[in-house]
Amino acid sequence: MSHHLGAFLLVNPERCMGCHTCELACAVAHTHTGTLTGAVIAGESFSPRNRVVQVSGTKFPTQCRQCEDAPCVKVCPTGATYRTATYTAVNPRSCIACKLCMMVCPFGAIQIASVRTNAHAKRAAIKCDLCVDRAEGPACIAACPTKAISLAIPKEVMESAIHDSSERYLAALKAQDRVADK
Amino acid sequence: MSYSTKILERSIDPATHEMLDHAQKSGIETIWDRLDAMQPQCGFGELGLCCRNCAMGPCRVSPFDEAGPKLGVCGAGRDVIVARFIDRMIAAGTASHSDHGRDIAHTFLLAAEGKAGDYKIRDEAKLKALASELGIATDGPVQEIAVEVGKRMLAQFGQQEGELHFAKRAPKKRQDIWKALKIAPRGIDREVVETMHRTHIGVDNDPVNLVLQGMRTALADGWGGSMIATELSDVMFGTPTPRMSAVNLGVLKHDEVNIMVHGHEPTLSELIVAASRDPELVALAQKFGAKDINVCGICCTGNEVLMRQGIPSVGNYIQQELAVATGAVEAIVVDVQCILPSLATVSGCFHTKFITTSPKAKFTGATHIEFDETHAYEIASTIVRTAVENYRFRKPALVHIPEVKTECMVGFSVEAIVKALGGSLTPLIGAIAQKQIRGIAAVVGCNNPKTKHDYSHVNLVKELIKRDILVLTTGCNAIGCAKVGLLLPKEGAEMAGPGLRSICQALGIPPVLHMGSCVDNSRVLVACAAVANALGVDISDLPAAAAAPEWMSEKAVAIGVYAVASGVFTVLGVMPPVLGGPAVTDLLINGAEGVVGAKFAVEPDPFKAADLIEAHINRKRTDLGLPV
Repeated sequence: MSHHLGAFLLVNPERCMGCHTCELACAVAHTHTGTLTGAVIAGESFSPRNRVVQVSGTKFPTQCRQCEDAPCVKVCPTGATYRTATYTAVNPRSCIACKLCMMVCPFGAIQIASVRTNAHAKRAAIKCDLCVDRAEGPACIAACPTKAISLAIPKEVMESAIHDSSERYLAALKAQDRVADK
Repeated sequence: MSYSTKILERSIDPATHEMLDHAQKSGIETIWDRLDAMQPQCGFGELGLCCRNCAMGPCRVSPFDEAGPKLGVCGAGRDVIVARFIDRMIAAGTASHSDHGRDIAHTFLLAAEGKAGDYKIRDEAKLKALASELGIATDGPVQEIAVEVGKRMLAQFGQQEGELHFAKRAPKKRQDIWKALKIAPRGIDREVVETMHRTHIGVDNDPVNLVLQGMRTALADGWGGSMIATELSDVMFGTPTPRMSAVNLGVLKHDEVNIMVHGHEPTLSELIVAASRDPELVALAQKFGAKDINVCGICCTGNEVLMRQGIPSVGNYIQQELAVATGAVEAIVVDVQCILPSLATVSGCFHTKFITTSPKAKFTGATHIEFDETHAYEIASTIVRTAVENYRFRKPALVHIPEVKTECMVGFSVEAIVKALGGSLTPLIGAIAQKQIRGIAAVVGCNNPKTKHDYSHVNLVKELIKRDILVLTTGCNAIGCAKVGLLLPKEGAEMAGPGLRSICQALGIPPVLHMGSCVDNSRVLVACAAVANALGVDISDLPAAAAAPEWMSEKAVAIGVYAVASGVFTVLGVMPPVLGGPAVTDLLINGAEGVVGAKFAVEPDPFKAADLIEAHINRKRTDLGLPV
């Protein structure tokens, strides 16, 4: 995951149809069976970690921003919520479902759900983990029928912005004959 | 009493506000809460771009040129998927009205053959008029005429070739257009079946051809199934004549057994009304401490008994859960269509018995007392008795009835309108020619929680009558109008423009004429055809329009499409799922004009919708050489 350093899910609201496919894909990706029909037959519970919302008529999915200075990590009394170099996650075994992380998350991206740790069923906090255990990357990205979700790497976005703005600056100077063509 | 913004935004009706507040405080979930929980709703579905017609799918084609698949797995593009979907909606709507019509025709024939003794021929004159129209000799005994009429009507459903009897009521020019386009319906069931066939994987894949078949199917509803339902109901239960009644939740009584009839057909509800007047059952009610038995209606079964018996209406479609939430309903008796499955849950909060009666419409959690036309009165009595016996279990502490009701004048069948005009349509045509009445608009359709309840219905109608446009109303629009006094001759006329007002005052009629239930939109077709025939023009030449400001059902789609295919400009207040198909959308809102002489418009704002209708009427007046 090193090339995904600090990556998070970027959404293009103009492209989102509000079809909830990403929610279903997320829920399925986090079942033990890993397939929709398999999980339904096995009677597994479905808990999406993202949520499609509608604000002033515009629909789009929301999920964890993978904060570096993450309030959920700071507030966790048992250390169940933790941060790696690239993302934040919850260890369901040590989570006591105290809901503090839910309360402090500025994005409303954490919820409490029924989870299974080994054969043991319990309640624990769940949140987007960027599908780190999924070789193909986040399930929501693959499932989106209109490609409204992508994985953004802030550093790449920043570099591309620097490049683009520099080009525009240069073009502006050239237009005023202040820089000669090389 | 002041209510939360959320409640005030859901409806314009004070009784509904009061009950929404009560429901919220009592923890009763309503249709509005479920719509909120459903947000956001899938955009593919909203645009009509989701296809589940085969197991290679489901397919969702992207509305964006730059991203996502443009074709379904079979290769169908956006317009084909949209056209197939809208056609299936039309087929379902046509099937619903027509299956209602079939049941009426079936009961009618049983009654004529003496096998359903609780039903009578109440309008002999209409029976004979129908018989003459069908080429049946009218000099024999009434029963024989009725048997022949019943058989002919029932045969329309399974007819394979030829054309529908009532389609001949349309102006000749209109019939010629249908024939030229090959959209004259051949039989009722046939068109529904053919639409289902054509929309199967790999059959009809031309959007225009699909839309034309959709029109043919819808015409089989308007000039077929619906019209048969209306005509035979009139013969069997009486053609509606003007009468007074009342609407809104305040028609429920504190000290009487309240029985609410809900759904669409008059077959059972007429007999419930009769059984409620049975002295033995009334005495039983009194034994249990009730003063009397109060039958009231809701939705279109409500309209059927309102039009013919003056039975008060509790409200329109979207108020059904709120009516039960009053805690004052001993039984809500339902037949078919537009019955919310949640009624089982809401009834469960009270002593209310939710009684289903149709083998076609069972609801988990309901009490099923199956209806059978051959023992109709006996079953109706059992149902009324069940309600009466349930009065004992009403919990006064849970009763909350808003003291809100409005008087109204209903019962304007075409026959009643002609009678009110002094025996012919000539005075109406004269008033149109002289601009006292500038045109006619049929405002109809459902309620939809996506629009503020009754807001569009009432405001559109008020705007139209203010502009001297006579409004014909049916279904849930009619009840919305009744609630604000638009169906009152005096108060209604005061809201109308000067021309329309003077006509209403002279005739003692309201400016908004209640023509019945949603199958009774066939009465609007009959009225349009009669006016067009009297003038020697096509329906599309008339200064007339239609609107469904708060529609939601597949039946409404069929109605809208048969209106347009019959030449009536139709304004929808809610967007149908067609926008994903640009060619289909363009055909419906533009191209159709050049094909069938009418088109659709979509306008959620009732004031702007009134502008569209007024402009259309002015255009048609100019074309007819009438003053604008």
